[in-house]
Amino acid sequence: MRLCARTCLLAALALTPALASAQTQTTMFSNLVNPAIGINALFSAQAAPTLNQPYGPQFDEAELSAIAVVDPYWTLSANIVFLEGAVDPEEIWARSTNIPSLQLKLGKLRGTFGKHPLLHPHAFPFVEAPIAVTNAIGEEGFKDAGLEAAWLTPLPWFAELTGGVYHALDVSDDNPLDFGSSRHDNLPFLGHFKNQFDVTGETTLEAGASYLQGRGTDDFVHSVVGADLTVRNVPAKSSNRSGWILQGEWLQKGANIGGDYVAEQRGGYGSFQYRLSQVWWAGVRGERALDSTTDFMTDAFDSAVRGAVSRGTVNIAWVPSEFSCVRLEYSHAKADVGAHPTDDRILLQLSYTIGFHPAHAY
Amino acid sequence: MNTITRIAIAVALTLLATEPARADLKVATSLTDLASVAQFVGGKHVTAQSLSRGFEDPHFVPAKPSLMKAIQHADVFISSGLELDSGWLPLVLPGSRNPKIQPGAKGFIDASQGVTVLEKPSGNVSRAEGDVHPLGNPHYYLDPKALEVVADHLAEAFSQLDAANAADYAANAKAFDARMETSLDKWQKQMAPYRGASIVPYHKNFIYFAERFGLKLFGTVEPKPGIPPSPKYISELAESMKKAGVKVVTYQPYYNAEASKQVAQRAGGIAIEVPTECGGVSGTDDVFAKFDVMVASISGALSGKGGAK
Repeated sequence: MRLCARTCLLAALALTPALASAQTQTTMFSNLVNPAIGINALFSAQAAPTLNQPYGPQFDEAELSAIAVVDPYWTLSANIVFLEGAVDPEEIWARSTNIPSLQLKLGKLRGTFGKHPLLHPHAFPFVEAPIAVTNAIGEEGFKDAGLEAAWLTPLPWFAELTGGVYHALDVSDDNPLDFGSSRHDNLPFLGHFKNQFDVTGETTLEAGASYLQGRGTDDFVHSVVGADLTVRNVPAKSSNRSGWILQGEWLQKGANIGGDYVAEQRGGYGSFQYRLSQVWWAGVRGERALDSTTDFMTDAFDSAVRGAVSRGTVNIAWVPSEFSCVRLEYSHAKADVGAHPTDDRILLQLSYTIGFHPAHAY
Repeated sequence: MNTITRIAIAVALTLLATEPARADLKVATSLTDLASVAQFVGGKHVTAQSLSRGFEDPHFVPAKPSLMKAIQHADVFISSGLELDSGWLPLVLPGSRNPKIQPGAKGFIDASQGVTVLEKPSGNVSRAEGDVHPLGNPHYYLDPKALEVVADHLAEAFSQLDAANAADYAANAKAFDARMETSLDKWQKQMAPYRGASIVPYHKNFIYFAERFGLKLFGTVEPKPGIPPSPKYISELAESMKKAGVKVVTYQPYYNAEASKQVAQRAGGIAIEVPTECGGVSGTDDVFAKFDVMVASISGALSGKGGAK
């Protein structure tokens, strides 16, 4: 055998135990370092004659969720949303796990305000967020860096008191609240009181009140106040195929201008969702909002105009499993302003989830 | 200090009090069967409550805030484990804000530890197979012998939290195991004539019961876990049952009785409601009563003397 071949053979023989060792060697990283990861993708199609846009399907967003225990004291949750042409670190927050009766949340949060503002878009019961919510606090609620403390009080029913402080945030496409003052003492804060009672073994009543305040770029104090009421029925023997939810919420945005409170956008909704079977849901919602805007309330030059608007919505959803949903929705709206004061539209929404799927909030 | 100030301080102190004085271990569980075993093992030193009710589907217990409140001051939480309660417990436990019972704490017990788990998936696990349990079939509490393992585990866990009563916990677990062995003999005798017989449960939860008592599972009413049966599937299942001579369909109080009855009717058999959790039907207040009813119902149906309910 030539010298070169002998050398290669000897080298291979010498390396083989090392290679074998490397293949069986225990890695220093276990699955401990992998968070639970999931992705939800939302698609929709809309036929709205009043809007100057083509009908047809569109990609709404994909939300990447991750959650893992940080250490014996904290758990971290993250939701990063991919939109067409943008990435939004929507929520990234740590939750305390070790304090009796108290839960701290710090990071980029969805402020604990109301009921609908707490929902992620794929969990909305109707394709479109309520007009009052969008105008008062933002379609997806108040999202901001902050710290919240939620205290489970010793009262004999579930009574949770939440207080929060946040980073001063200016008005944006997502955020209608002006908390943008650069004063050192501008620390927007929130208060929320949630109460839940078991009316029977299958029906619950939840009542909540919320308040959020901060100082605006105009140096005035801006605020939003809300109240919510939910009655929910989940029959014990058919919890995954029947039941209903009756929910109402009212929000009002305003400002203290020169010592006087001036109400701005305000309004509310009432909705009823009914579970027809394991895979079918139906819903109906009525809304009324004052001094508000929507995408169809525009003048002759396509600029948004503010006014009073009412909307009725009906939908039906096919939910073949917890991980997918197809929703068909019709809404009729009437405003007292705008070049097209009446709006009728049909929407179709598709939602798909893979990977980790968080437990459903009640 | 005036009266109003004193009252205000008293109210504030009352509101700030986070935990009443403890007389014994307050135990909460995700399943009624686990509460029953915990009460047997704990005896007078334990008060056990289940967050789910026996007639509720343990996969889909609503994560009501009132459940969080119910365990705010629990000393121990016993989870069924194997992700049976993963649809609601990950909300309820953190919402309770009780550090003693969070996963990893001494007061958190995974009751499935030590149990021989059946149907552990091998290879790729995918939701194309429905709502699968990736850690194996979690319905081990349908095997009387598995509950002996749970009892021994709980005795050990309770002893670590309450060493003063360790001897009682050990003795109670031993008594539980002995009673379970005696009862198991009785049930085996009742089921002996039907060894090798086939039944069709609604969901795959019956595998442990079937293995213990020598029954065979001839498919399930739901085509895949969590997927409701279509009319076509019902028809095909009934047809194959007819050809194979399988006559008994079982369903739990929380499953779609109509689908089970349709299958049974078309197959020329019977559908019976069988509780698989304590409290599922009246007269099943503890695990022994539950198995009494299960064995009586299934043996009665297989003997041809049972009827659709």
